[in-house]
Amino acid sequence: MSRVNFGDPAVIASLAAALEAAGVDGIEIEQDARKVRIVIERGILGAVPQVDASQHSSAATHAISVAAPTAGLFCSAHPASVAPPLELPREVVPGEMLGFIRVGPILLPVKASGTGILMRSLAGDGSLVGYGEPLFEIEPCP
Amino acid sequence: MQNGQDSSAERVPGFDTVLIANRGEVALRILRACKDLGLKTVMVCSQADRQASYGTLADTFLCIGPASAGKSYLNRDAILLAARLTGAGAVHPGYGFLSENAAFSEAVEDAGMVFIGPTAQSIATMGDKIAAKSAMIAAGVPCVPGPDSALPDDRTAVEAIASKIGYPVIVKAAGGGGGRGMRVVPDAGVLHESVSVTREEARQAFGSPALYMEKFLQHPRHIEIQVLCDVHGNAVWLGHRDCSMQRRHQKVIEEAPAPGIAPDVIGPVAEACVRACLQIGYRGVGTFEFLYEDGGFYFIEMNTRLQVEHPVTEMTSGIDIVQAQIKAAQGIPLDVAQAAVTVDGHAFECRINAEDPTTFLASAGTVTALTLPSGPGIRVDTHVHAGYRVSPYYDSLIGKLIVHAPSRAEAIVMMRTALAGTEIEGISTNLPLLRMLFNDEGFAAGGTDIHYLEKWLKRRSAS
Repeated sequence: MSRVNFGDPAVIASLAAALEAAGVDGIEIEQDARKVRIVIERGILGAVPQVDASQHSSAATHAISVAAPTAGLFCSAHPASVAPPLELPREVVPGEMLGFIRVGPILLPVKASGTGILMRSLAGDGSLVGYGEPLFEIEPCP
Repeated sequence: MQNGQDSSAERVPGFDTVLIANRGEVALRILRACKDLGLKTVMVCSQADRQASYGTLADTFLCIGPASAGKSYLNRDAILLAARLTGAGAVHPGYGFLSENAAFSEAVEDAGMVFIGPTAQSIATMGDKIAAKSAMIAAGVPCVPGPDSALPDDRTAVEAIASKIGYPVIVKAAGGGGGRGMRVVPDAGVLHESVSVTREEARQAFGSPALYMEKFLQHPRHIEIQVLCDVHGNAVWLGHRDCSMQRRHQKVIEEAPAPGIAPDVIGPVAEACVRACLQIGYRGVGTFEFLYEDGGFYFIEMNTRLQVEHPVTEMTSGIDIVQAQIKAAQGIPLDVAQAAVTVDGHAFECRINAEDPTTFLASAGTVTALTLPSGPGIRVDTHVHAGYRVSPYYDSLIGKLIVHAPSRAEAIVMMRTALAGTEIEGISTNLPLLRMLFNDEGFAAGGTDIHYLEKWLKRRSAS
């Protein structure tokens, strides 16, 4: 049986997502001489993997802006991802991961909350973005 | 300049980037001081201020939260996050918002940055009225008659304290300020009811039922003394101001120096303030506020931050107080000795508020046209321009008109001209009120007390 490394950030992120989804407040794991404690602080900027990307309607284009949920550094992909960047335009569905906001060691997902065509990415990879700053434009499907 | 012990100089790190945790005219004022000192700036804003053009003058302009001040300008975590994201080495809180929040000062320094202001301990001491009064008495600063301790619960003991002070007395919340949490007790008949009601208000508004009692002065002026301290044990006072022209404890017009107070009367009081600063290890700028009546000074509180009205002292002293504050935070020793501090001429400041000049209701909206005065001796500190949208979310102060002339009489004439040359369209402002006050004979004579404006407004309403 393979041994899980609970010190691996990817494992911690997966566990945090699972705890959040299950409505569990936290977990503490002891492995050898090490201890890992994950605490889910809902509604507070912390190890919260689930972030609703706020959306604003643009009257001029009828496109929907997906805005940054907090100030931080924009990442177009997970740092551990080796997949090539997805090309635009492309169709997206609600909940689809569009990018991340890095705040120190935390990555906050930016997700689409509607179905549509992702037309434009507005922030450069690694750029500093402010709270509410538009990151993507999605044209809703008719 | 007075030398004390050099206790904290080694703890102050250098910095080259300042995060400005404020908005509006003071944010712009701090930004200019930073630029003059060759420092980079990070300005944070709320969503309501995202389009503010003054933000583009900063090296980095970052939105940190929604329009609500509690989620942006008062959001400690968001500000600290912005500082970390941008590599800021110091945080300037301006005035208002988190400027006198001891926990914020501590959090900034715990995060390895410099808080451009006093230590958390100094803020906490001065924020507690009883502790502040004790510190002042220890330094020989004159205080309002009354014990420097909390009122006891025992009714007989309270009666004895009030009798010893002499009626009328005023009961104040130890953790209060800004005119809140206080009640005047005219005679013994309403003493216990007043104490009881104020204690409950204090408990609810400030989280502590602690009260203290003082002599209630009937016709005082509001006089304040500006101090400047470094972290090497040097402190100076830069002059005094008269801020008696107030409405509901909010200052409307300030001037420096306070008229009609002889140097040999205020000098010893100011020297005691400097002594107090050295005794409590104060750093940066601060203001000692006093009530002044019948030739006596009575300490009210110390503001442990930059004041809105600092420009009048800058005009008369020739010292850039914001730059001096930042340099003190950088650990740079004061470069001015007390003997070299001068008071040159007379300065006035008018606070221009976006409000109805009669009802004083806040007036939000877009400034459609703006004409500002200029010329020798005239200074305007504002972030507003034609097309600027005055937000309903924040304080109504949209600018400060400052004049400086050789004498008070000349400064009044200059301010009348400057006010006549100021036009703001699209929103209501208090400009009409300011123009009337600068044509008021009582004000022109100088020495009006803190109740003058309220009485003046009542007379105006009655007529």
